Amino acid sequence: MLIFDELKKNDPQLRLVAMALVAGLFILLAGLWWVQVVSAREYQGALQTQAYRTVRVPAMRGKILDREGRVLAENRARYNISLFLDDLSRQFEATYNQLHKQALNIQKQNIAAREKQFGRSLTKAERKQFVLTSAQLEQFHAQARYNVASAVVSQVAQKMSGPLALDPKKFERAYRETPYAPYPILQNLNDAQVARFEESFTNGLGVELDLQPARNYPLGATASLLLGYVTKDDRSIQGEDSYYDYRLPDYSGQVGIERGFDSQLHGRAGGESVLINSLGYRQTENVWEEPETGKNVVLTIDLDIQRAAEESLRNHQGENPRAAIVVMDVRTGDVLAMVSSPAVDPNYYAGSLLPEEFQKETLLRDDPKLRPEINRATYENYIPGSIFKPIVALAALENGLNPNEMYQVQPDPAEPWHGCIYVGAHKIKDTVPPGNYDLKRAIEQSSNAYFIFNGLRTGIEKIVRLGEKFHLGEREKLPTFQDAKGTFPSLERINKSDWRDGDSANICFGQGEVAVTPMQMAVAYSAIANGGKVLWPCLVKRIESQDTTSGEPPTVFTNGIVRDDIGVSQRSFKILHEAMLSETEDQAGTGYPAFHQHDSVLNLRVCGKTGTAQVKNEQGQMITHNYWFASFAPYESPHYAVVVMVQSDNPGSGGIVCAPIAHDIYAEILKKENAGQKNPAVAKN
Amino acid sequence: MVDPSINERGGRLDKLQLFALFGLMLLGVAFVFSATAAHQAGLLPWYKQLWMHQIIWYLLGIGAATALCFVDYHFLARWSYVIYWAMILLLIAVLIPGIGTWRLGARRWIDFHVFQFQPSEFAKLAVILAVANFLSRPAEELKSPSIFWKGIGMLMLPFALIMKEPDLGSALVLLPTGLVMMFVAGTPKKYLLRLVGGVGIFVILMLADVLFAPPKLRIPIQEYQRQRLLVYFGKHFAPTNATLEEKKAAAELESKSGYQARQALISVGSGGIWGKGWRQGSQTALGYLPSAAAHNDFIFSVIAEEEGFVGSLVVLTLYAVVLFTGLRIAGQARDRLGKLVAVGVVTLIFSHVFVNIGMNIRIVPVTGIPLPLLSYGGSSVLCSLIALGLMQNVHIHRRG
Repeated sequence: MLIFDELKKNDPQLRLVAMALVAGLFILLAGLWWVQVVSAREYQGALQTQAYRTVRVPAMRGKILDREGRVLAENRARYNISLFLDDLSRQFEATYNQLHKQALNIQKQNIAAREKQFGRSLTKAERKQFVLTSAQLEQFHAQARYNVASAVVSQVAQKMSGPLALDPKKFERAYRETPYAPYPILQNLNDAQVARFEESFTNGLGVELDLQPARNYPLGATASLLLGYVTKDDRSIQGEDSYYDYRLPDYSGQVGIERGFDSQLHGRAGGESVLINSLGYRQTENVWEEPETGKNVVLTIDLDIQRAAEESLRNHQGENPRAAIVVMDVRTGDVLAMVSSPAVDPNYYAGSLLPEEFQKETLLRDDPKLRPEINRATYENYIPGSIFKPIVALAALENGLNPNEMYQVQPDPAEPWHGCIYVGAHKIKDTVPPGNYDLKRAIEQSSNAYFIFNGLRTGIEKIVRLGEKFHLGEREKLPTFQDAKGTFPSLERINKSDWRDGDSANICFGQGEVAVTPMQMAVAYSAIANGGKVLWPCLVKRIESQDTTSGEPPTVFTNGIVRDDIGVSQRSFKILHEAMLSETEDQAGTGYPAFHQHDSVLNLRVCGKTGTAQVKNEQGQMITHNYWFASFAPYESPHYAVVVMVQSDNPGSGGIVCAPIAHDIYAEILKKENAGQKNPAVAKN
Repeated sequence: MVDPSINERGGRLDKLQLFALFGLMLLGVAFVFSATAAHQAGLLPWYKQLWMHQIIWYLLGIGAATALCFVDYHFLARWSYVIYWAMILLLIAVLIPGIGTWRLGARRWIDFHVFQFQPSEFAKLAVILAVANFLSRPAEELKSPSIFWKGIGMLMLPFALIMKEPDLGSALVLLPTGLVMMFVAGTPKKYLLRLVGGVGIFVILMLADVLFAPPKLRIPIQEYQRQRLLVYFGKHFAPTNATLEEKKAAAELESKSGYQARQALISVGSGGIWGKGWRQGSQTALGYLPSAAAHNDFIFSVIAEEEGFVGSLVVLTLYAVVLFTGLRIAGQARDRLGKLVAVGVVTLIFSHVFVNIGMNIRIVPVTGIPLPLLSYGGSSVLCSLIALGLMQNVHIHRRG
């Protein structure tokens, strides 16, 4: 090179200097190569890490609808008033400077005072004591931020006329960890508050309305145990990315349909990346994955029938009875109504109740006797009592019982106006007066003695086999996570040495080692009604996309799937149906008053069975009664089954307590059917 | 004293060097603009913005350099001692509280309201001239130890004064400059080797003391300087036997101190081969690279992030051209004075370049040294251009 040629001539020092220069430049070049080419990716990664935050954006949760598309659970916008920290950053800075200045002034004063004290200037070491440490400066920053934020909060409080608190620790933590996210100071505003806020605060204050989705149950506690509820849960579910810096609020179902179909309702969260600057504030955002909205779940429930059932229960039993009602379509197994009482308003869990209501619901939720979080229709086992008798009747009929054969009920020596029967040496009381009873009479008046006699004659084994066909003692495989299997003796059990006749006798009138859920009874009575087909209960009709224009086909659930056939002859069914009809149509029937004491007698022939079971504790003392009314209608061509159960400490009977409620339900069903006939478009069932 | 045949001499300018200088000045304006645009663009009118100021400094510097070239450098050399002692006075003056302004933990500037005057920058030039003049005596005289130590003394006086400000970086660049000048002048190698050896041992001992010794035995240097050294050597701030609390507090402090160096590294590295594009650098725009430093000490990070490895290469090449043409000027100089002045300027500029770029890529601990002609700063630009003017001066008056 030109330059080096000239240097070669007799100038070793310059040459050395030149070589040193080359070496130096080469070191720089190598260093730059290492950093910019070899490690480029690492540094780009570091840039991403410090400058980007990933935010999980939850999808819009699907709605839960009744069979006609009416909303049972939905989302609504919840308004919060939130601080936006990046807008306040200038004020933070300004306030910090003020505090700093003040502190410096105080420092000067202190130094001056000390100097006066000593009578001389301070040495450097002595001055050091007054120096503001970085910890103190940091504290001024935090103090400045808190002051600015509290000032804003108190302005908001004044305009919203209500006290508002700013927790210093929480605020500081939010500033440190997620300064690019809004900090809520007042949550869940009602419309009036939203309006007041909008007119009082124009922008520029650093505080704004912030929109979040919240789960809303517009019908309050209607069908609440079936629907379930959601709680705040922003964890990633399967199929989503699991690492995010910040998660927007999300929910997951805890129980009921909300939980059972959570993955469909939930959709799939998306993600966005937020570019933040060195102060942590949001610069731009970029959605790299759109959230996939959740799907709507359409239930088989008919809201009119559901509401009628709940209202009737309230009218007859007051505010918080312990009760359950199941209304089923006997042909398809569709559950048209499912009531469990008492129930907590699911809006309670979503945090959207007013304070007084919230208090009330908390008290209710914690009540150990009422236990409103249990779905009594599907998750608690109740002693069936007399409503088990039709099953015994079927077993006996199949075994050759002549329905017209009379059985004489003996009087109870202790109470001669009531009947009784001796099983071995043990006396079992009857509620009916002594006399001759055929099957019809025994059913309509509900005689224990008749059924014990004939049941034992048939043999417990046949009864158990029949019960197994009904799948008693097994789960209904419900998708709502509250599914009890009940109790029923197995063949193995009855063949054990400790099974006595007394135990068999108990089974014959629905006491002893048998317990059922109202749902099981609805399935059983539907089977009795439809000619022997034990169906799987159906709670969901279909799952469909929230966007009606998307063209995505819904997932339709087939109903009417047969679980088993009880294999009883048509003749037996006919006899039983007739006997059960007399329950409501004969004056002597225990169900008669309920269906004939109202102004309007229904234009519907209802077959039913009342039941009263006594619940005893281990010492044999009575603790409560289970009152039942299990039924189906119309007699001519059964379509609906209605099972009502009320647990009460008060004396009564199934006919007095439950049958009137069933009557009201049938009234509503009739109303709907008539409306459907006038307007065929409405009746889609 | 003015050379009459200035027009002829005008043709004796080293054009290649001028071309490279022009390139550097263009880059300087472009990237000061980029570094400050993100934060200032909307706020100030264009004539108040920093890149405009930089252009003004360039023009002033070119003016001063041109003026100097009218005068033979020998004339300047005769005044070198006067200039040298005047600088020493200014360096003392800047340390006095009333005169020097305290800023960012150091007293380096004298505030003349219209501009800030930084004596240490001009002192470097004065030292080069004075030392070159001192060393341009006959080579045999340099063999005497007393001359040798006098020369060292000429270096150490400004060195000590600049260290007191404190301005470690500027003080340090005096040393290689002076030593190289002595070497080229013909000082016996053994003197230099012994000196370098001695200083080397001293530096190692000092480092060991600063980094490892318990507080009582530590040499008093400024805390932030000590922290920078710790960060560079990757050593934790708290000793191993500290409590968990102390370690946590120390770790936080560490990340704060190392912040600038780390952000510079990220800026440089994330540029990749091609860079992100002019004004597309995110590190400055988002404030990760502190805006106070982005347009001066860390201007190279901005260039590296926005123009990538290619950009870095261009910058290095331009400097290489300036430096090697400088060496050529030294080789062709008429006499030892000219050669020494040229070598001194070359070494000074190289030291600045090496330390500043090295600081950006973490092969050198962070010291506040500007990048000649690219960093924003009146004193730095003026001095760089005057220094280069001196070199052109030597070239103009070369033999043949």
